Amino acid sequence: MNLRTLLAQAQDYYVLSARSLLGIFRRPFYVRETVEQMDYAGPGSFFIVILVSLFIGMALSLQISTELSALGLKMYTGKIVGISIIREIGPVAIALTFAGRVGSGMASELGSMVLGHQVDMLRVFGMDVVKKLVTPRVLSATLMLPVLTVIGDGAALFGGWYIAAFVSHQSGSFYWGQIADIMNFNNIISGLAKPFMFGFLIASISCYMGLSTRGGARGLRLSTTTAVVLSIIMIIVTDFLLTQILFLLLGMQA
Amino acid sequence: MIEFQDVTLAYNSNRVLDGVSFTARFWDRLAFLGGSGEGKTTILKLLLALVRPDSGRILVDGEDIAGLSESQLRHVRRKFTIVFQEGALFDSLSVRENVAFCMREQGVLSEEEIEEEVRGLLRKVGIEGSIDLMPAELSGGMQRRAAIARSMAACEPRMMLYDEPTTGLDPLTAENICDLINELSAGEPPDRRGSIIVTHDVTAAARVAERFLYLRNGRITFDGDLPGLLNTDDRELKKFINALLLVR
Repeated sequence: MNLRTLLAQAQDYYVLSARSLLGIFRRPFYVRETVEQMDYAGPGSFFIVILVSLFIGMALSLQISTELSALGLKMYTGKIVGISIIREIGPVAIALTFAGRVGSGMASELGSMVLGHQVDMLRVFGMDVVKKLVTPRVLSATLMLPVLTVIGDGAALFGGWYIAAFVSHQSGSFYWGQIADIMNFNNIISGLAKPFMFGFLIASISCYMGLSTRGGARGLRLSTTTAVVLSIIMIIVTDFLLTQILFLLLGMQA
Repeated sequence: MIEFQDVTLAYNSNRVLDGVSFTARFWDRLAFLGGSGEGKTTILKLLLALVRPDSGRILVDGEDIAGLSESQLRHVRRKFTIVFQEGALFDSLSVRENVAFCMREQGVLSEEEIEEEVRGLLRKVGIEGSIDLMPAELSGGMQRRAAIARSMAACEPRMMLYDEPTTGLDPLTAENICDLINELSAGEPPDRRGSIIVTHDVTAAARVAERFLYLRNGRITFDGDLPGLLNTDDRELKKFINALLLVR
């Protein structure tokens, strides 16, 4: 792929993203499609998000309490687990899970529609394909990922508590007390601002890749894989950039 | 009037159409013949501006559609409707919802009127009993019938476009589909609805078309009526026709 093609694709992606956002405010509003997509992205992801988060919280708590025990500081397990989960690991891990489940689903569904000429049919019927197919997906992912992040953070903190209380033999109420201490404005905003951006990125990248599908089953595999890989890279890169920006905005220092 | 003027198109380095020119009227019944990969479906996609030509002009009622935006193309696309090879039905919707799709999007008719219209169209194509089935539960022939019904529901097209409508169907079902195509384009010109069918099935083409165009190496190498097609001197075309008629 040469630089010109790459730039043209980047331009197409930005145009699609902008049009999908504008579509939120323009008639017709595809409420049914948006609700269907929210159901797929949100409640449909509850189980996997809770499962992944629970084990991440348990593993993190185990690692931290072991290290802190050696220093005689294991009473701070709750604080460190809480900050790590809420500010950083929760939003990123849940976004990565979301990209794997929902992003790949969006790319493959739209890719199949392209290959099956269903997208062409929508254009023949005079419909705005971006508004009909992309806007509901972008909106649902942008709204549902923060909800999933809150649920996932809760599951991860619960997993952390289980290890702290039953493996590391710490006081459960002290653990939750420390979690309550770190629930301040800065930490909550740090943890909740990111999922909105991640949700938008995952959906817009996945829809763009899905609609760019060419060349049968092999093309579908390529577009789905690229959608997930690009989403993962963008989540990690954007996480760093957002962390820097939020530190700046919230007056936090490294 | 539809005019293709010296249209060329390449997918990457593969030149699909190389200076294609023809004109047709909205009441004409055309068949594009040719082997796989000769650009037959591309002609339909160009006509609907689903793909844009690399060079040349495509005029619909005198308007060059190649440079129009998606919103500007709406009034052009309303003049046509297309039935793709596999039907292109929305697989998450039932037959009823597929046929009602456009009417619901337009938001003009009430639900009762839509139901009545959908049943009427499905009755016309002979699959009213399958109204509640999902596309995956339909046979190939039924899928194409449902797709034709959906296309008819979209608007009042002046011309129907069919992409390989009989491919993969048994001879009896293929004949039924041809009868349906003829029924939808019945009447005398210029009052009837025209059709363009792209196919490699010469028998089906002979049943539904009055003018035949043969595509080879990205060019139209034959343009004429059925007797002209059957008595052609073009050896390649002769071979193509005989091979297919033998298979049938």
